[in-house]
Amino acid sequence: MSTTLINTALLLMMAVAAVAIARTRNLFSVVILGSLYSFLMATILLVLDAVDVSMTEAAVGAGISTVLLLATLYLTQSEEAKPHHNPLIPLAVALVTVGLLAYGTLGLPEFGSPDSVIHKHVAPRYLKEGPTETGVPNIVTAVLASYRGFDTLGEVGVIFTAGIGVIVLLRRRWRSDVDEKDT
Amino acid sequence: MTHEIINLASWLSISAGSIFCLIGALGLLRMPDFFTRMHAASVIDTLGAGLLLFGMMLQAGFTLVSVKLVFVGLLLFFTSPTATHALARAARARGLGPKLPDRK
Amino acid sequence: MFEAAAAALLISLAGALARALAGPTVFDRTQAANSSGTIAMLLLAVIGFMTDRPDFLDIAIVYGLLNVVGTIAVLKFFRYGDLGDPGSMPDEPDKQQSGEMK
Repeated sequence: MSTTLINTALLLMMAVAAVAIARTRNLFSVVILGSLYSFLMATILLVLDAVDVSMTEAAVGAGISTVLLLATLYLTQSEEAKPHHNPLIPLAVALVTVGLLAYGTLGLPEFGSPDSVIHKHVAPRYLKEGPTETGVPNIVTAVLASYRGFDTLGEVGVIFTAGIGVIVLLRRRWRSDVDEKDT
Repeated sequence: MTHEIINLASWLSISAGSIFCLIGALGLLRMPDFFTRMHAASVIDTLGAGLLLFGMMLQAGFTLVSVKLVFVGLLLFFTSPTATHALARAARARGLGPKLPDRK
Repeated sequence: MFEAAAAALLISLAGALARALAGPTVFDRTQAANSSGTIAMLLLAVIGFMTDRPDFLDIAIVYGLLNVVGTIAVLKFFRYGDLGDPGSMPDEPDKQQSGEMK
């Protein structure tokens, strides 16, 4: 009961922060509000018992994203450009989508119940035979690295490509600054 | 008997720490100028965090949890003054001055 | 007892968030983000004691480190205008102007 109240309070604060991010025009403030939003998100994930996801969210959202967005702000201007179109139609589309999704979640099984369909197909086999078949004692690691290993390979490839792209873009900016100073 | 004393001491310490955190947040909201807000926010880092962590250490006893709480306290002890100092220097480097009273 | 501490910390977090939204200068927002990171660390420790899982303290240590790294990165950007190697930067605060305090 108390964790439900904590979750409700944190989610309300996240909603307020998200609305403020959408409405603020100065981009530095948006970056700082974004890091605050990531801290709140990581706290909610922790209260929901997802410890590793929370650590990743804190590291990526509050650490790396903030620093990278600041490095990007060096290349652009600091005020967001005014929008040219009326935002009512996109708002209506977003509200209709939210309504449909919320209506769809009414048909899902209860949160965390062990009788739901998703826990009856391959999960019992992973739980029973995981340590003997793969040799890894942790079930999550066994699924990620052995049973669904190709998925992990694709993800690592995507993240590696993204990292190289960011390094190339930022390095080119510093190289051009150094060249300008020499000439 | 000592169990009761330790429980009472930890309850008092946690309550005091929470009250100081509330005072710090109220100061952050109500102070008139940026530098005064920084002073008010530092109450959270020192008294609020210190008393809360001490109260939790009394609850945990002599286990690994207390060592981790000591590490959290040391981390706050070393990094929050650094961040405050850097923030004040950056604000002064940008020309933000304190709000001084008018000399009459 | 821990519930009362968690409620007080949540109210403090809401106060810091209000300052982050309303702060006239960007330094107010940076200070509010730093304070909210500290309050989130304490909230994690309290929630860990409340739900009887003191392993949350490791995450609190990670938060502390990320909090200071994020704040110093923002301030380094303001002082030098760049996030590069401080050995090769000229030591003047207003090197180029793409950033204004609002």
